[in-house]
Amino acid sequence: MRNFTRTGTAAALSAMMVVLAACGGGSNNGSGGSGDQVTLSVMHNWTGQDAKATAMRGLLDQFQEDHPDIKLEVEGLATDGLKTRLRTVAAANEMPDLFVMWPGVMTQEFVSGDLIQPIGEYLDSKPEWKDNFIENAFDDYTVDGKIYSAPMNLAPTSFVYYNQAIFDEYGVEVPKTWDELLAAIETFNQNDVIPIALGNKANWFVQSTIFSSLGDRVTGTDWFLKAVAQDGASFTDPQFVAALDKLQELSEADAFQDGFNSIDENQMVQLYFQGKAAMFISGGWAMANVVKNAPEDILQQTHITILPSVEGGEGDPMSTSGVVGTGMGISSKLEGAEKEAAMELLYALSGPEGQQATLESSTLVSYDIPLDESKADPLFVELYNLMQDIKITPVYDAKLSSAAVEVTNNGLQELLGGGDPAAIAEKIQNAQVGAAQ
Amino acid sequence: MQLKALSSRKFIIMGLLPAIAVYAIFVFVPVVWSGYYGFFNWSGIGAARFIGFDNYTEIFRDPIFWTALRNNIIFVLASVFGQIPIALIVAILVQKDGKRSWFMRTAVFMPMVLSTVVIGMIWQYIYHPQIGILNFLLEWLGLESWQRVWLSEDYGIYALIPPLIWSFVGLYLIIFIAALQNIPGEIHDAAQLDGATGVRKIVAVTLPMIKGTILVAVVLCISGSLKSFDLVYIMTRGGPAHATELLATYMYNSTFTSYRYGFGSAISTTIVLVSLVLIGISQWLMSIKSKSNQ
Repeated sequence: MRNFTRTGTAAALSAMMVVLAACGGGSNNGSGGSGDQVTLSVMHNWTGQDAKATAMRGLLDQFQEDHPDIKLEVEGLATDGLKTRLRTVAAANEMPDLFVMWPGVMTQEFVSGDLIQPIGEYLDSKPEWKDNFIENAFDDYTVDGKIYSAPMNLAPTSFVYYNQAIFDEYGVEVPKTWDELLAAIETFNQNDVIPIALGNKANWFVQSTIFSSLGDRVTGTDWFLKAVAQDGASFTDPQFVAALDKLQELSEADAFQDGFNSIDENQMVQLYFQGKAAMFISGGWAMANVVKNAPEDILQQTHITILPSVEGGEGDPMSTSGVVGTGMGISSKLEGAEKEAAMELLYALSGPEGQQATLESSTLVSYDIPLDESKADPLFVELYNLMQDIKITPVYDAKLSSAAVEVTNNGLQELLGGGDPAAIAEKIQNAQVGAAQ
Repeated sequence: MQLKALSSRKFIIMGLLPAIAVYAIFVFVPVVWSGYYGFFNWSGIGAARFIGFDNYTEIFRDPIFWTALRNNIIFVLASVFGQIPIALIVAILVQKDGKRSWFMRTAVFMPMVLSTVVIGMIWQYIYHPQIGILNFLLEWLGLESWQRVWLSEDYGIYALIPPLIWSFVGLYLIIFIAALQNIPGEIHDAAQLDGATGVRKIVAVTLPMIKGTILVAVVLCISGSLKSFDLVYIMTRGGPAHATELLATYMYNSTFTSYRYGFGSAISTTIVLVSLVLIGISQWLMSIKSKSNQ
């Protein structure tokens, strides 16, 4: 008996040693050993129960089943957690083999740290795949002419979701111009209806869903890209201050309910679900929530459109802000068999089958495939068709430096609280300049 | 005899060594390290660039830092003059009245066992601008003019004080109850013989007897509220527009939202220094007081 206990303790101890050793080992990139079994560590953000996450996890499982010689070590984290985690492992130079990453600034920073490798050769080897992506799909994954990932979806960030019944009740047309919007706001306010529900506690919200589009309407895309590059344009230019003015007009007209800076996105959508608000402005991602959780009568009255045009603005009114969606980054440390396996997994997730599965889960893709309208939810069909007619313009937080994004987000909160547009513009300008140094 | 003392001293050192080593590795070294990183411009990825004291001068020129410091001092004052007196009064009441004490103790201590996330959510709904209980209550009492958007630029930092006090009073209550129970019965008897009762007894006998505990509680309170982060992060994220920023949220946002690791490290170091200064001031004030008493 005593002997038995001792063996047990020894076993427990040695198990502990193994665990400790495994911790110390970190990423086992040395493909050493027999070589017939390849292990890939994968990090993703498909942790939810929504259709998209379920579909993507299904693809991973399918891949594992089809490739018994490749072992996937999968770790799922919520989106915010994943972003922070990626930063942390990047600082320690311990990237997972494959991971969900974001286009634009994050991709550029990972490339500058030599953490990810280009996938151009593999893309070129499958032209029927590469050529099917929409125009500019690879732009935000391209650094110095090399492509580092392929987008798995498309994320427009700015749509107006509106309740037709409330518009009809007060005889208001869905606004096509800025003046019509202001008139509609006034009518709704007179009738104690919240014109636009807003939840800007997480302060990126207004920047991403309202201001990126509104800014583009006023300043035009060219000016914005120049200002980002600090090449012949500056955020203190009059057109940018004018764009800030436009946004402030909304809060001055009481377009949003009281305390919009202290409630979050979910509480915002709740106000709309309760029929207290005529509209809310959010990204394509809100669709899933509306379709799944809206009360039946609200869902049937809900339609979707883009922000109204702004008179005298430089931008194309038939556009909305958006980014190509996340893509899989591949660690620069992978070589040989591991690299091949990683490319195959990339193809499984962002290739034709992956794109089809994504579209069927009511998520837009940056890939040219038709939608089966009989299967999809009517509101998603509306969104899909709307997207066929409009152009995508940049989102501020995908282009500006991280520090300038933070200043912009806070500046917009200040602006909606009555801050001075010119002073806020100057702060944004300083942050963007500071980051370039 | 001497040999024995020596070996027992050795034994004490040996016994303390592991704890000191763990403390040094996980607390002291990172603090120094962080101070070192504060001299660099580093985004967390790629090469760090040495920029001398630039981060530190930027901190002192940054109006957000001063807002955060001001808010932190409001938090410290609110904690010291809110939590400790309330906890002390409740402890004395609970001490006196045996029957209701169990209920009181549990009620006051309950927030301590709640996660800050839960506390934050509860108070967020209390303050909710449309469906909040507080605004509803004010309306019901006919005080519509007092209704506010509580977690806003103007009132946010003050609106955060009640949940802050509420959530920590229990800790000090327990500490004070323990201290009160440690006052020997003879002293109470002696006080009674001398005719000291009621408030007079509390001021002249009870409080001086637990003075040491109160001082410890004040230090705990100051350092605790300087470290405040979670409640604010959950309820306002330091917003709107930095209005409720604390030093810790300022540090967190700079490091993990703006990805300025060097700047964030410099803020951390500044927080350490500010904390040391405040604790030093409080110690000094108390030593003056205790000297003048003697």
